Amino acid sequence: MSTATLPSRPPGPALAALALRQIRRGAVSVTAGCAGMSALVVTMYHDQALDPAALEALARNPAIRTLFGEPVALDDPGGFTVWRTGAILAVLLAVWSSLAATRILRGEEDAGRWHLLLSGRTTLTGAVRAHLGVLAAVPLAAGAAVAAAMIAAGASAGGSLLHGAGLAAAGFFFVAVGGLTAQLFPSRSAANGAAAAVMVLGLLTRMVGDGLTELAWLRWLSPFGLVALTRPFGADRWLPLGVLAVAALLLLALTAWLAARRDVGGAIIATAGGRPARTTLLGSVTAFAVRRTLRPLAGWVAGVAAYYLLIGLVTRSMTDFLTANPQFTEMAAQAGFTLGTVEGYAATLFALLAIPAGVFVAARLAALAADETAHRLALLLAAPVTRTRLLAAEAATATGAALVLITVAGVALWAGSAVAGAGLTLGDALAGALNVVPIVLLCLGAAVLALGWMPRIVAGVGALPAAGGFLWQVVADSIDAPAWIGVLSPFAHLAAVPASSPGWRAAIVMTGVAAAAALVGAVGYRRRDLRT
Amino acid sequence: MGITALRTENLSKRYGRLLAVDDLTLDVAAGEVFGFLGPNGAGKSTTIRMLLGLARPTTGQAWIFDTDAADVAVAHRRLAHVPADVALWPRMTGAEILDLLGRVGPGVDAAYRDELVERFALDVSKPAGTYSTGNRQKIALVAAFSTRAPLLVLDEPTSGLDPLMEREFRHAVGAARDNGQTVFLSSHQLAEVEAVCDRVAILRAGKLVEVASVAALRRLHRTEVSATFTGTPPDLGGVPGIDDLHRDGPVGVRFTLDGSPAAALHALADAEVATIAVREPSLEEIFLAYYGQDAR
Ligand SMILES: Nc1ncnc2c1ncn2[C@@H]1O[C@H](COP(=O)(O)OP(=O)(O)OP(=O)(O)O)[C@@H](O)[C@H]1O
Ligand SMILES: [Mg+2]
Repeated sequence: MSTATLPSRPPGPALAALALRQIRRGAVSVTAGCAGMSALVVTMYHDQALDPAALEALARNPAIRTLFGEPVALDDPGGFTVWRTGAILAVLLAVWSSLAATRILRGEEDAGRWHLLLSGRTTLTGAVRAHLGVLAAVPLAAGAAVAAAMIAAGASAGGSLLHGAGLAAAGFFFVAVGGLTAQLFPSRSAANGAAAAVMVLGLLTRMVGDGLTELAWLRWLSPFGLVALTRPFGADRWLPLGVLAVAALLLLALTAWLAARRDVGGAIIATAGGRPARTTLLGSVTAFAVRRTLRPLAGWVAGVAAYYLLIGLVTRSMTDFLTANPQFTEMAAQAGFTLGTVEGYAATLFALLAIPAGVFVAARLAALAADETAHRLALLLAAPVTRTRLLAAEAATATGAALVLITVAGVALWAGSAVAGAGLTLGDALAGALNVVPIVLLCLGAAVLALGWMPRIVAGVGALPAAGGFLWQVVADSIDAPAWIGVLSPFAHLAAVPASSPGWRAAIVMTGVAAAAALVGAVGYRRRDLRT
Repeated sequence: MGITALRTENLSKRYGRLLAVDDLTLDVAAGEVFGFLGPNGAGKSTTIRMLLGLARPTTGQAWIFDTDAADVAVAHRRLAHVPADVALWPRMTGAEILDLLGRVGPGVDAAYRDELVERFALDVSKPAGTYSTGNRQKIALVAAFSTRAPLLVLDEPTSGLDPLMEREFRHAVGAARDNGQTVFLSSHQLAEVEAVCDRVAILRAGKLVEVASVAALRRLHRTEVSATFTGTPPDLGGVPGIDDLHRDGPVGVRFTLDGSPAAALHALADAEVATIAVREPSLEEIFLAYYGQDAR
């Protein structure tokens, strides 16, 4: 043999391998997480003596329905699992799928790595297709794993398969959404923002459709609504899944079509040409941090405000329902939910606010880590600016912005409930919203800790107290876990404000833990080498 | 001795098993234009990152005008920097980035900044995301030079510039020198180093192999002489100053000259010289000789 070059092979498998390398860890965790959570809830259903009547009553509450979707077959272990975990897992898969898609498409392209990749025989469309193909396999695998795990845990096969297929379709749809926004927008954050907007709209549409019977048809317009319409372990309908799969395939086709019509490194929505300089908020590191936070904050505020306005508006249907059926209030209370009053309902839903606010804070610190990785901090840190000052500016800005987000949520719920005439005071609404601040601070502390010692995983670690803590609590509640397991979630320590008075002790402890984590993180950040 | 602008003492940086910078001791006087050379991976950027406090030395220490380099709040008031690969916030325009860096930096000469923007032919109204590599570098250069900081630490600042812009760069370095500023310049452009630097340090595999003025570096290297004769070449062995003597064909010789050429010229004059060629090695050849030895 005298030939020096490798024999020519089609680039497909190499591209797929590249895509796989970038997502394999997340893919495994997401698949294992979905399957594990589903199996756990199915298994534990056997072991606990649930009172079906109480559950049924609870599930008919519009608030709970708005939140967790319409209950279908709560007397069945599979049906209960679908109701308790289905919406959460669908959102989890959707978030992971769209984030992964924008990361390995737009993120890699942004970093300039695709110029190298595409200098060979691969076309842009080919690369996009190969990456999305690999990515699409992940929700399919997760759905299959969920179905298998549920069947293994004892749920009936038909419902389990349909539920798994529904989750897979939701994830698949958001792979396509992420792929599409990665073609449309010139930066990863813009692509993520657009995908998040689709997700929030889908969720809100599903919630309105589930909560208000007269608007039930809206669910056909939402990916999450379509998944809910399959009604596993009940009506077992496959048609909505077909609709969702076709929609996803259309989006994928559109993605490929758009990819063929743009430059490598470019986007369909082009960056604006020249413009006059806007020099506000450039005077100091803190001002600059505020400037970079404003745009993402606007997006988060829009989503959160819409959600809490909606929650506020449905308080009316819930209060009507409770007036008509007073016995449910009591049953709900027995099951651990303080839904009997508007305040209790608000408290339950405000606890959820910790998730967007906490994830927001984590995302801001992750943006600082991303600036570092992208070498953008070198110019800033060549100025007489210490790392401590930079970090403090960033952390303070993120906290301030989170407070804005929280306040907006409180006002939105209050406004919605006022329109519906539910009689929640603005003070109560704000107190309920601000009640989640300690969990948000925990997220900030965790994110700073990660920035100091494990800068690659700032977003994940930072979101853990809120998103992870919430999932932990849901699982712990669903399987009736021993108390010491439940208390590991910060949500277990959140008082039901405004239904009851704030738990100052827990708030102080959480804030202290957050401060300690932030301090350790700041020390690490000062000492380590910057990757910039 | 004058003021020291930049000083390192036994500076080392270890990455796992790799000693990226090995016991580096350097002293750059204020007002000097100092070239920092070496092959890829020699440790130049790593040294600069330690000077800027972006990376922590494993051992040793660095000072910027007698301030510990780790004390960036103080040290960076007298320094400006152009990083090896300039990354900017893609949605901000060039003007906004210059404004930001001017306001958080050690001060800015706004008139000079505008002049530099003109000279480097920058369109600062465009978002940085649309800039080419060279344009990004120009933004960083304009930001650095317009601070008029006493010390400029530049890491391959011209790697993306076209020859015209490179000329502007040399002009700006000249202006900085006239202004009494110190320039610490890491570069692979040997012609540029030769044109602007007073002294150079050559780093190889993390170790300092030479620090000398450009003139001294030339002097260290000997003149090459080759001559042919009409008859038999004379015996030049033992003539003072002549080294590396070789026969070059039946009528030619080659040798290198060290020190005064007087004795060698005498010896040649006595023979029948047909042709003679005297050649100074280019600085490039001198550098390459340093780079070539046992590269990493
Ligand atoms: N963060 C790091 N982790 C591990 N090794 C590193 C790291 N940064 C640099 N190195 C190694 O240290 C050595 C010196 O790198 P450095 O970037 O300083 O070289 P350089 O002289 O600037 O080269 P070039 O001329 O290519 O810019 C290289 O071998 C490099 O691989
Ligand atoms: Mg370098």
